[in-house]
Amino acid sequence: MATQKEIMRFELIMDAGNGAQKAGDILIKAFAKSGRFVFIEPLIPAEISPPKRTPHSMSGAVIRVSTNELSNMGSTSDLMLFEHEILLERRLKDSDYTIGGLVLLDMADERRAKDAYAAVIEEAKSVGLKVISFNMDDESVAIIKELNGNGKNMYYLGMMAAIYEMPEEYVAGLIRQVFKKLSEEKLNKNLTIYANGYKNALEVCPETFDIPKTEKSMTDSILLDGNTSLAMGIIDAGIRFYAGYPITPASSIMHSLSKAFPAYGGMVHQAEDEISAVGAMIGSYYAGVPAVTATSGPGLSLKQEFIGLANSAEIPSIIINVQRGGPSTGLPTRTEQTDLFASVFGTHGESPKVAISVSNVEDCFYVPHVARYITEKLRAPVIILSDYITSVSYKVLEKLPLLELDDINDISDDILARFNIKRLPDTIEMVKDNQANPGVPDKMRRVTGLNTDASGNVVYSSESNQRSHDIRNEKLEVVRRALTSPEIIGAPTGDLLLVCWGSSRGVVEEAINLANQEGIKVSALNFKIVYPLPTMLSEIFKKFKKVVTIEVAFGKENKPTEFSTLLRSETLVDIGLGLAQATGRPLKPKSVLARIKDLV
Amino acid sequence: MTTEVKQVKMKDLKALDPRWCTGCGDYTMLVGVRKLMVKDQMQPKDTVYVSGIGCSGRIPHYMNTYGFHTIHGRSVPISTGVALVRPDLNVFVASGDGDSLSIGGNHLLHGISKNIHCVYMMHDNQIYGLTKNQTSPTTRKGLVTATSPGGSIMDPINPIRFALGLGATFVASTAEWLGQHFVDTIEAAKNHKGFSFVHVAQRCPKFNPAAWDFQNSDWINFLDHENGVAGDTKGAPDAKVVKHDPSDLEGAFSHSENVPNVFGIFYQKEKASYDDLMRQAVENTPKKDPSKLLDGFAL
Repeated sequence: MATQKEIMRFELIMDAGNGAQKAGDILIKAFAKSGRFVFIEPLIPAEISPPKRTPHSMSGAVIRVSTNELSNMGSTSDLMLFEHEILLERRLKDSDYTIGGLVLLDMADERRAKDAYAAVIEEAKSVGLKVISFNMDDESVAIIKELNGNGKNMYYLGMMAAIYEMPEEYVAGLIRQVFKKLSEEKLNKNLTIYANGYKNALEVCPETFDIPKTEKSMTDSILLDGNTSLAMGIIDAGIRFYAGYPITPASSIMHSLSKAFPAYGGMVHQAEDEISAVGAMIGSYYAGVPAVTATSGPGLSLKQEFIGLANSAEIPSIIINVQRGGPSTGLPTRTEQTDLFASVFGTHGESPKVAISVSNVEDCFYVPHVARYITEKLRAPVIILSDYITSVSYKVLEKLPLLELDDINDISDDILARFNIKRLPDTIEMVKDNQANPGVPDKMRRVTGLNTDASGNVVYSSESNQRSHDIRNEKLEVVRRALTSPEIIGAPTGDLLLVCWGSSRGVVEEAINLANQEGIKVSALNFKIVYPLPTMLSEIFKKFKKVVTIEVAFGKENKPTEFSTLLRSETLVDIGLGLAQATGRPLKPKSVLARIKDLV
Repeated sequence: MTTEVKQVKMKDLKALDPRWCTGCGDYTMLVGVRKLMVKDQMQPKDTVYVSGIGCSGRIPHYMNTYGFHTIHGRSVPISTGVALVRPDLNVFVASGDGDSLSIGGNHLLHGISKNIHCVYMMHDNQIYGLTKNQTSPTTRKGLVTATSPGGSIMDPINPIRFALGLGATFVASTAEWLGQHFVDTIEAAKNHKGFSFVHVAQRCPKFNPAAWDFQNSDWINFLDHENGVAGDTKGAPDAKVVKHDPSDLEGAFSHSENVPNVFGIFYQKEKASYDDLMRQAVENTPKKDPSKLLDGFAL
């Protein structure tokens, strides 16, 4: 008998290289296509395929499914399937499970680790999990052997499909689509394993679940992840040149564009390093072709000198930074919101620049348009801040209206409003009067990092240097004045205001809903543009007794996070420590709720 | 559309007054490039002069073309961006020995190997000038500098070998004080499709006057060929002139032993440039309807 649940989170955890991500992708598609909303967090090692049967080898898909729209990963998993006991032991340490939740454990390795299996099962039970052990059938084991150890993921996929009451043939159809390049023989073997998993799940698992389909029409819906959305947004924003260097988790933007861009007249240049990538992007924009580069933390550090040059030389430029855990290589496959200062203040010298964050997959699509609008208006760099969890999370969306932007002035007010900004003035003062692109007769000019006067000539006078700073900073003031209030979730006055930005928005929104259900009143303020900050902030803050930030960043008493430091310094309001966790994993709505209860 | 093409004259090419030291070889390079532009009637509006940092980096400011004085060692990335999206422009690049072979080594390596279409002039004065007298990658062994008070302990990098080793499609060396040879060499470089690497012996009277003995010419060897550049026996009367066919790679390597005492075209061959290949790849891709951009993501 199926238990109806409107929302559930489950995970499939295997050794890296065994296909957990692939099985997860098929499951996401199955749920989305059949009318459910999904959100996903891939758990992948920073290495490729670490030795199997080690804790380092953990690779999996955490999938949240719901009848209603989802904005975040949620708090804990209700059902977890593990390939072996070491992965279960590793995952228990994260305390990401729902007490009373189900663990499905493949016992295939038990003969080589009897004691370990017994100990882990005991441990799982002791924390309140129900453990169901299972073995694959002999036929599947034999086929997997024939496939050199591949195909286990299809068995687990079959189990999941059965447990979630999906029609067997429906998911089989998706498998055929995903593996269309496989030979008929191999495909059939995979399908047999899948079918066996499907059949056997119902024998071992006493419970199945039915997540009701949404009543909304999904006919016009699309399924998109954050980085693909950014890539498509780049095309729609009229950008025609991308330069990049491989770095996780930004690379998939370059992968998507490498495939799609040429069909829309765009070019992808894989540069020899991060510095060269930003340089080529600036070169393209200098020559008159809108361009973008994308990177992650370490790459941003390397690009800084060029970003400063673009600011001084007044060349538009767009830099996407998909934030990850750091510093250094840090946690390349985990999420963090800790590059705010590096983005806004990272460049040497006094070099103000705009930073725009994205809160979801829709924002990812439209942020290139807004970045292009602002950078071409100001002729100053704009940094886009995404993060790992946004970059990889899939979302079911209503088909997004396209802009096919050519002239930046044709950007729609709606898109600007999404980022809480109004149209900028028609004319904005530049350091240099002549801003012609190469090829324009009689307008020849030289751009440089050296200080210049209005004619563009190199000048070192004190007056002139001060003038350049004034003008560059005034450009940011122009943006500041165009900013409208950040989005307020809940009432505009009250006891507690949670301030967030980027991917934390969804988690905070869900926590507020949970709090409301318990009769606790709390509001949130979500920022898209994180620099400059709008003028009315202190007024907003003053209407609350307590203001705290909620971020995936490190903070503790006497060490505010970057964002709260910024807010404090600009508003002189005592912004407190809400939740500042730099675990590398997204925040949990339940942790935010617990913190709300502490604070009210 | 009729476009009136203006006659380009020397005076049209002047921008700011140069601020180099008296006797600096950059002055003669500046004049040489202007002479080429007048000779070949290159339109200033279609010319972009990109530079890195150092004394050489200032040259765009003094040329009334489009210009981009970038950052240390990174003229190639900017030039790559320009070359990829604007094949209609002539790109000149100015870079010093430190800019080219120290801080910008990786970019130069990739500029050469990708064969990006531009004329790359490496101003070689064998010293860091603008930062005041530090050892550079081409400083000769034994030279006393601010950072090598006991004399430089390293053999200099041979820039010609560097370029030849990377499969450069145009490799030449010249000297700025040999006016005719300099103009002829950069003209050949300009007419070459791809990355034209031109090593230029350049005087620094302030910090390294002994680097190039421009008053004597018996140390100079010209590589002379009908497909190359004629030896400048007027400018360097005591120089030796040897025949060398620029298509002879083995000969080029052999002559490179005597660098930096050899001027002429070491090597030249035809090869598709990265920027041409990239543009062709985009042009050859069947186009899609932008109004259906997201249709492929439908559930």
